[in-house]
Amino acid sequence: MKKLVTPLFAAALFALSSSLHAQVIVIANPGVKATEVTKADIKEVFTGNATTLKDGSRVVPILLNEGTANEEFLKVYIGKSDSAYRATWRSLVFSGSAMMPKTLDGDAAVVAFVMAHSGAIGYIDKESPHAGVKVLSVK
Amino acid sequence: MINAFRSSFLGVIALVTVAAPVCAQSIEDLNLQFHGYATQSFLYTTKNNILTANSSDGSPAWTEAVVNLSALPQPKLRISLQVRYSIIGQLGNAFTLDYAAAEYKVNDRFGVRFGKVKTPSSLYNTQQDIDPSYMWSLLPQSVYPVLSRNSLLANFGGLAFGTIPLGEKFGKLVYAGYGGQISLASNDGFIIPIKDAGFGAPNGYGETLAGGSLRWKTPIPGLLIGAANSHDFTSSVPITYDAGLITGTFAGKPFNNQTFSASYDHNKFSVASEYTRIPFSALISLPAPFPYPHVPYSFDNRGWYGMASYKITGKWAAGLYNSQFFNHAAAKGPARYSKDWALSTRYDFNEYLYAKAEQHWIDGTAVLYDTWNNTGGLQPDTHLTILKMGVSF
Repeated sequence: MKKLVTPLFAAALFALSSSLHAQVIVIANPGVKATEVTKADIKEVFTGNATTLKDGSRVVPILLNEGTANEEFLKVYIGKSDSAYRATWRSLVFSGSAMMPKTLDGDAAVVAFVMAHSGAIGYIDKESPHAGVKVLSVK
Repeated sequence: MINAFRSSFLGVIALVTVAAPVCAQSIEDLNLQFHGYATQSFLYTTKNNILTANSSDGSPAWTEAVVNLSALPQPKLRISLQVRYSIIGQLGNAFTLDYAAAEYKVNDRFGVRFGKVKTPSSLYNTQQDIDPSYMWSLLPQSVYPVLSRNSLLANFGGLAFGTIPLGEKFGKLVYAGYGGQISLASNDGFIIPIKDAGFGAPNGYGETLAGGSLRWKTPIPGLLIGAANSHDFTSSVPITYDAGLITGTFAGKPFNNQTFSASYDHNKFSVASEYTRIPFSALISLPAPFPYPHVPYSFDNRGWYGMASYKITGKWAAGLYNSQFFNHAAAKGPARYSKDWALSTRYDFNEYLYAKAEQHWIDGTAVLYDTWNNTGGLQPDTHLTILKMGVSF
């Protein structure tokens, strides 16, 4: 019985984990041409290594200030804690090679900003209203 | 000449800065950002005094404070400047300009930067002044001598840069080409040996340079390989002897400074290694009655290091490196080399506050020392302990 319970428990954990990962979505201004991006593309843009997507769309990353969606995004796409991530951006600022991305409080503020600014790209909780922005499919 | 050159470039930056609000529709559109950081270190050495501080008694004489201002008046135009106040031993106690530049980035493949721009030579050159950005208290001194940091960090000139995708199978190529002028202060680390020989360089030393760097972000995730070359042209500056009673010239010959780099990051583990060489020669000319009218001066500095670090937790990291430096133009003995083992750790209390601790075992006296602050003579080996607190915002 114990032998059966362990794999079932692991499968349940995996399913829960996958479900959590699916809770964050990447959104972009409708003017951004791309509809599909890779996880690597997202990491390049949100770590200051790229300002355009592969299709040539110029994008500007927008960050969430805190919350579950922010933590999940950093864990899944960046692989850093919030403090380490922001420290990395500050290093780019001090080295003279980038500016700190705009950081907004809450999903609604991110959606409103992304909708209104050409090239803006952000992330929010999947369940948050996001009419008026494009949801990018991440491969 | 250098001052005129510098003034012209800073004038351009000032003009762009003043013109930027005109381009932007409102002050909010400028997207002004203000950041800064400050560090305070404590140095203790078992024998020789280091970094011109009285470190053998324990010294807090390493303080740095930096403010950074940047603006983005247009999506492709960025203006930034950074000012530093620092005290390192008996040096500093003054404000210096790390950089002041206007950048126009067409796209990821091509951009240009003008003004006082950071020189993208070795792996960490553009970051070596940014203490919050790395784990170490002191970067390997064979490649990143802290007493020469200001002269290596930036030049007054221009820079073209970009990233060329090579396809999924071949990774990316990050390139940079630059040209400009550098200015070494009269107390720069490269001038310390000249001062130790009894000469003075009241105006420091300046030269024109042009160079480029290539960094290959290989298709193996985390593996980067790089090479850089800087060609430094001939230059001549005034030099003094006998407590300033005799004045002559110091004429540097052209040379190439080459650097080769590799780094690899995988999850919590990072390794890096670099090699650099600076073969410099000059002729010191002094008028009569000095008995030797022409004195050759040279150094052939070759440095390399290997480092490894590991992120133990999200807040705590540790690592070690071995840094070796040889001046092949120097006479045999401890003054010809420096071999440094360093064991280091860093703890980030939060996004803003961090602490570092580092222990060095240094054999040889070729870097980090001066003779005027070691009047009893230099001992061949020294242990160095550095404790540092930093805050950034």
